[in-house]
Amino acid sequence: MDTLRALIAACALAAAGGPVFAAEPVQWKAQEHITEFKFLFETGKYKADSWNALSPDEQQNELRDSAEPAQQRLEAVQAYYEAAMRPWDTEQLRDYVQKISERDISTVRLWLGEEAGTELRAKVTAVREAMGKANSQDGLRQSDVDGLRQYLTPEAISALRSIKVMRGAQGQSSEFFKKSEVPKGAVNSTLSKVSGSLSSGVSGSLTKAFDGNAATGDASAVDMRGGRYQVPKNVMNGVSAEVSRPMGDFVAEKTAGVLNPGQPRGTTATTVKSAAPQQLGGGTKSTSWTSDAYGYTITTSDGRTQTFRDQRQAEAAIRALPNGSVSKIILYGHGAPGGQTVGSAYYEAGDTAALLKGKMTPGGVVQYTGCNTASIGDATLNPAVGLSMLTRRLLYFSVPYWQDRFSGVPADEARKQWEKTWNADLARDTSRQMGGTIVCGLRTFGLVPGRLPGVTRVMGNQEATTPGYVAGKKVCYQDGREVPEP
Amino acid sequence: MSDLSALLELVLLLGIPFVPVAAGVLLRRKFSPAPAAEGQEPAPLTPGQKAGRLAGTILLWGGILGILFMLIVALNFKGKL
Repeated sequence: MDTLRALIAACALAAAGGPVFAAEPVQWKAQEHITEFKFLFETGKYKADSWNALSPDEQQNELRDSAEPAQQRLEAVQAYYEAAMRPWDTEQLRDYVQKISERDISTVRLWLGEEAGTELRAKVTAVREAMGKANSQDGLRQSDVDGLRQYLTPEAISALRSIKVMRGAQGQSSEFFKKSEVPKGAVNSTLSKVSGSLSSGVSGSLTKAFDGNAATGDASAVDMRGGRYQVPKNVMNGVSAEVSRPMGDFVAEKTAGVLNPGQPRGTTATTVKSAAPQQLGGGTKSTSWTSDAYGYTITTSDGRTQTFRDQRQAEAAIRALPNGSVSKIILYGHGAPGGQTVGSAYYEAGDTAALLKGKMTPGGVVQYTGCNTASIGDATLNPAVGLSMLTRRLLYFSVPYWQDRFSGVPADEARKQWEKTWNADLARDTSRQMGGTIVCGLRTFGLVPGRLPGVTRVMGNQEATTPGYVAGKKVCYQDGREVPEP
Repeated sequence: MSDLSALLELVLLLGIPFVPVAAGVLLRRKFSPAPAAEGQEPAPLTPGQKAGRLAGTILLWGGILGILFMLIVALNFKGKL
């Protein structure tokens, strides 16, 4: 009987104490679980209302399940932020400026706090503004360069400064006397992708919603399941899964790819690729005395020739052609060591190779008709060629070298940068990326008589898409080896 | 050291186009006709003198054209032309 009484008493006590030992409801954004709440919020799984609707047990389960992925996510964002705040080299500069978005900054702000987000925003804004200035006619001032030292490596600053030089190079038209200043509107439109004025409205929403304004419903939680803010599956699901490409990029220190994995990475170039100017004159016929000739001339294996001035039309036409059908393509525009413009487009070796990948017939010819699109080559007795070489060295080594020196870039660094750049061989580099295709360029400045001021108007070829006679030393390569001109 | 070599190179590069100009002037002076005595016709140029002066003239004007070439390219590069 005593045993029975004791048992009943124990049961009564347990029943009375039940509510005491049951799980307590956890407040939304409770500090002891703040990491988990950030994760739950970022994944879009819960907001304050939906969280409060859960039973205490369900809340505990959710917190337990999200603890590990939340911690991993926090570490990933922390690592991303630390990498992003280190001084960027040239490749990182291009990569970040192209890819970092307002949402990325918001995410940093969400996970690491207001201060971290503000610092990252300040860096991105400063660098983008500097890029805008670098693209302008005036280029970077000394004060701009000084301000960039905390954000960029000296090499990247030097490369940024080189944009102006490369812009100048675009003015090195083969018609020689043409003033081909890049229109400011064109530069601005190019820079729209990397606008220095970041809208504050977008960035505010994510953190604002999490930090106390969820009721307004203006938050758009970052979609972590794919797209621009994809995270590894194992982080998302809390189960073992293959590490996604973004994380692979991240491990390989390709940091900008982590938060924006969907976009292609920029190619490595010897210099920062200057933004391509838009078409001059909005497509209206030029009426000036100087030439505005540039274009694409595409010849297919059936003998048909198409010409274009507009980049998009030309590239669309190339893509529409069947593989192995282009026997010759002439890219006519303004060249500089390592790159050439065709109107609004700018091509480096990788760009041309990517555009024409698979399209060329065996032994097909890619002709760059622009100044200095090949290296200067061996010594020559031709005084005109010698003079062109000398001028090239002056304009693409001496001038930018001293500009860098006056801006405080160390001598060794400036020398290394411009020694690498001044004699770049666009044609040879392209041929190495286009197996079997013959790629031709000019070792010298090219003089096109038909583009001389006045002459071009008399001849009515101000907007010619195909070059006529070009006075210059031509060279052709196949698989990186010099071959006779076809 | 890097600056010094770059400076020397710059001076050399800028100076090169003046070399043919200077050589041309020197050749033209060296092979100039001998001054004629008063009231007499200047002595006709020998074939060697003619060749020397021709070479000097070519160098002189070639050099001048070269300097012009560089000036135009540089001005064009700076967007002034």
